Amino acid sequence: MRKHSQPAAARPSYRQALQKCSLSFWAMAPLLLGVIGLVGLFEVLVTPKMLTSLFRDNPIADTLIGTLTGAAAAGNPIVSYVIGGELMARGISRYAVCAFILAWVTLGFIQLPAEVEVFGSRFTLLRNVLAFIFTMLIAVLTAWTLQVLS
Amino acid sequence: MKRSDPPFAFRGKYLLPVVCAAYGALFFFSPKKAWLALQKSAAVLVRILPIIVVVILFTALLNYLLKPRQVAAYLGRKSGIRGWLWVLAAGVISHGPMYAWYPLLEDLRGHGLRDGLIVVFFFARAIKIPLLPMMIDYFGWPFTLVLSLYILIGALAQGWILEALMPGPPAKPGSYAD
Repeated sequence: MRKHSQPAAARPSYRQALQKCSLSFWAMAPLLLGVIGLVGLFEVLVTPKMLTSLFRDNPIADTLIGTLTGAAAAGNPIVSYVIGGELMARGISRYAVCAFILAWVTLGFIQLPAEVEVFGSRFTLLRNVLAFIFTMLIAVLTAWTLQVLS
Repeated sequence: MKRSDPPFAFRGKYLLPVVCAAYGALFFFSPKKAWLALQKSAAVLVRILPIIVVVILFTALLNYLLKPRQVAAYLGRKSGIRGWLWVLAAGVISHGPMYAWYPLLEDLRGHGLRDGLIVVFFFARAIKIPLLPMMIDYFGWPFTLVLSLYILIGALAQGWILEALMPGPPAKPGSYAD
């Protein structure tokens, strides 16, 4: 641990730092509980079956649908792999599956209110627009690269 | 430089009542689904509680060990390539849902963490190390490798674009962001 030239009293103890952090987490508890509540609602109301039924066997449209459905879905990323595997087996394009599993983790309509509250609306808007564009871009690039490699 | 702490106030004062109202409505129309949603939410809460505890301990440790000036040196505007690589690695190894990391990132942001690096952290989280074997099993080695590589490049590109679109205020001499 580094020693500082300032007097020891100027530096808070670990206990004080822990108290401060616990308090700021406690302040955020309603926000986190709200998001967790939304996750439960979406997991029940938006089923994997509903998500898979949205794809149309059109690579371009499916990439967009994959991004939007991935962003709307909630839950453990493992579920996105299972659904993605199911979509691939159904013959849905690699673009769409890639966009879907990527959007599942990087985008989230459910956590938008919390993100706005914590980081501000401008940052949240820009981050999500960028993540949306890059999710589709990476999906296309991944599929192209794999085609070239094979 | 001393910073006064903001007064205590609960966040999400509107979100939580809205979600509660949605549950209330669902209980009215479909009690079975509402109960199932409540159980799923409880399961999520139980799953992320250990992560939240770790994040609290880690945030406290950072506050204890590092001064704002040091945080800014590692993750501030003049952190250079080291800052980008730190958050890229942190994003890849971080676990749990995105929102569990909001308090830590907000705290670091208050100490000088650049917005571009937050974007990099969030996108790099798409690589889930514990889930890589499963991804390989479902989609194969080439898919997993190519996708992971593009995720890393995409994360850095987004951070760079965000900083170009949303530059922070100019750093004052001796400020935390220096």
